[in-house]
Amino acid sequence: MRNASAAMVILLMLLAGVAAGEDLEPAPPGLDARSIAEKVEDVFRGKNSYLKATMTVISPRLPTPRRVTFRAWDDRPRKRSFIRILAPAKDSGMGFLKLHPNLWNFIPRVERTIRIPPSMMLQSWMGSDFTNDDLVRESSQLDDYDHQLLGIDPAPDGDESERAYVIEYRPHEDAPVVWGKIVAWVDVARHAPLRQDFYDEAGEKLRVMRFSEIREVQSRPYPHRWSLVPLDKEGHETLIEIEEIRFDQDFEERIFDKRNLTRWD
Amino acid sequence: MVPLELRLAWRNVGRNPRRTGLTVAATVFAVFLVVFFVAFAAGLHEKMIEDSVRLHSGHLSVSGEGHLENQTLEQYLRLEPGFEAALSSTPGVRGLAPRVVGFGLLSRDSTTQGVALLGVDPKRESSVSTLPDRVQRGRFVGGDAPLGIVLGERLSQNLGADLGDEILVYSVAYSFEMAYELFTVVGIVKLPEPRMDRALAVISLADAQRFFVYGDRVTEVALLAKDADASPELARRLASTLPEISSTPAEVHTWEEIIPELEQLIFLDDAAMYILLAILVVVVGFGILNTILMSVLERTRELGVTLALGLRPGAVFRVVYLESMLLALLGLLVGLVLAIPTVLYFQAHPYELTGSAMAGMEFFGVEPVMTWKLKPWNPVGSTITIFVVAAIAAFYPALKASRGRPVDALRSL
Repeated sequence: MRNASAAMVILLMLLAGVAAGEDLEPAPPGLDARSIAEKVEDVFRGKNSYLKATMTVISPRLPTPRRVTFRAWDDRPRKRSFIRILAPAKDSGMGFLKLHPNLWNFIPRVERTIRIPPSMMLQSWMGSDFTNDDLVRESSQLDDYDHQLLGIDPAPDGDESERAYVIEYRPHEDAPVVWGKIVAWVDVARHAPLRQDFYDEAGEKLRVMRFSEIREVQSRPYPHRWSLVPLDKEGHETLIEIEEIRFDQDFEERIFDKRNLTRWD
Repeated sequence: MVPLELRLAWRNVGRNPRRTGLTVAATVFAVFLVVFFVAFAAGLHEKMIEDSVRLHSGHLSVSGEGHLENQTLEQYLRLEPGFEAALSSTPGVRGLAPRVVGFGLLSRDSTTQGVALLGVDPKRESSVSTLPDRVQRGRFVGGDAPLGIVLGERLSQNLGADLGDEILVYSVAYSFEMAYELFTVVGIVKLPEPRMDRALAVISLADAQRFFVYGDRVTEVALLAKDADASPELARRLASTLPEISSTPAEVHTWEEIIPELEQLIFLDDAAMYILLAILVVVVGFGILNTILMSVLERTRELGVTLALGLRPGAVFRVVYLESMLLALLGLLVGLVLAIPTVLYFQAHPYELTGSAMAGMEFFGVEPVMTWKLKPWNPVGSTITIFVVAAIAAFYPALKASRGRPVDALRSL
């Protein structure tokens, strides 16, 4: 009798799992979610990184998508980064310099430098669906979150050639993080990031970031195309296509000098 | 032929002038105070609404669908000539002002401030708001020189900017470009509301449309109604015609929706006043009860005699009750005769405050003038309320008078 009710409970739990749409395979035992998250983190950042990319903003409001080309130097250990806009011509030469905790924006056409106040951090960066906060965020997806392996998705985004670990990231209570949680898909074979869904604190999904065109860079499976879709803005998408990416460079000190902001080549 | 009871009641009213005078005075006092204070509150609230509405919002605001909620450039109206003409020819519209409202950063040296960037057409703006008249120094935007900016006084202090200084205005345009432009401070406005004074910057409508790459769009058209009280009716009328006259989805909101704080403040103020007046009316009700009861006790013997002579208790009740009602009616009449002309006098001659009272009201952004406004329902409502209270109060003394036993009554006194 007792066994029967226990079996019933287990059956109900299984049914509930199916009903919730969690058609994930259970992960093999002994796998550590944090170590997978660590590998993903390693893909994106070495000691430091330099990249050149083109960002495309797609919106129903724009007859043709807006494209912005930029170079970015990220010196994470020293909490500083620098971005130089190359195109469009109107904004060419514009610079963004982050020296913890400040963000400066130099605008060559009016020859002015403006300090972006903390209240503007969640505003759009260069008109894209990325925010200033995305640019300067110091939080680490490794150290500021707890990780839990939910299972293995046999066909993420309908792609049956890949299998992906599904990991839930929950921020620590005092972490400087704007998200309530992140659900990430990580390629089982190469530990390449495939997708991240961002939720707010109320549990509502706010945006979906998809990574594709994964190619080897300095022995990392690096995604060269990032697509960000904000779910509250219909028809919006921001694409970042990486044209050049190098890790672990010897950065010249002057790159992060405030004087360098106003000087460009 | 006047019924016997009414004749008796009327004689009783005239028989003891002191008693009558006291009861009537209590009622007169109540009517006068209620009418006077309700008119004062009505005047004050109308003034608060008028000042707030004229400060910025207008009585009504027509905007792109969802703008009140989202407050972004995404919700817009197209300012086509036909649309504007249709709005201004709507009966009951006194003035209209198209605006572009966006978020912007103002930066000068190392100081940066987030502000509401308001693009206005100076000429049409004066037909709705007093913004152009609030310039303390310099001038308002517009005229021949483009790229002029007018700052709230507190904002200019926070930025350390003065007339003639260049300020970088920075935002994201409707077209998702970076929007940045150097503007020259041409004027400083003093805004009574501290929040606005700290965070409002005004530029011309044309500059705003260029800056935000907004074309002929506007975010809202503020409307001033000919009659503030008729603005909900005007809003309903506009809501039904908007789909025909606007080429983009539009909505209309009344000042109650635009400045809900003001409506809540007025509601609270009204509630407090009505509670006080209710207490006053109840106190007056007991006063009436008291005087009539006294007059009944005074006349125990007399009433006993009438009962002994064969007047039915019901008739005695009616005599005393009618007497009280006659007193109440007399009091109401005298009260209204005193109150209405007084209120009308003050309505025509607002009382200007001076000294510390003036400073206090100016601090709260209200013009230091006390005004009264007699709305039709005020004397009607006051009369009915006080009459009902008097009618209830008179019940017990009348009952007491009719219940006496002649034998006891004759023995007393």
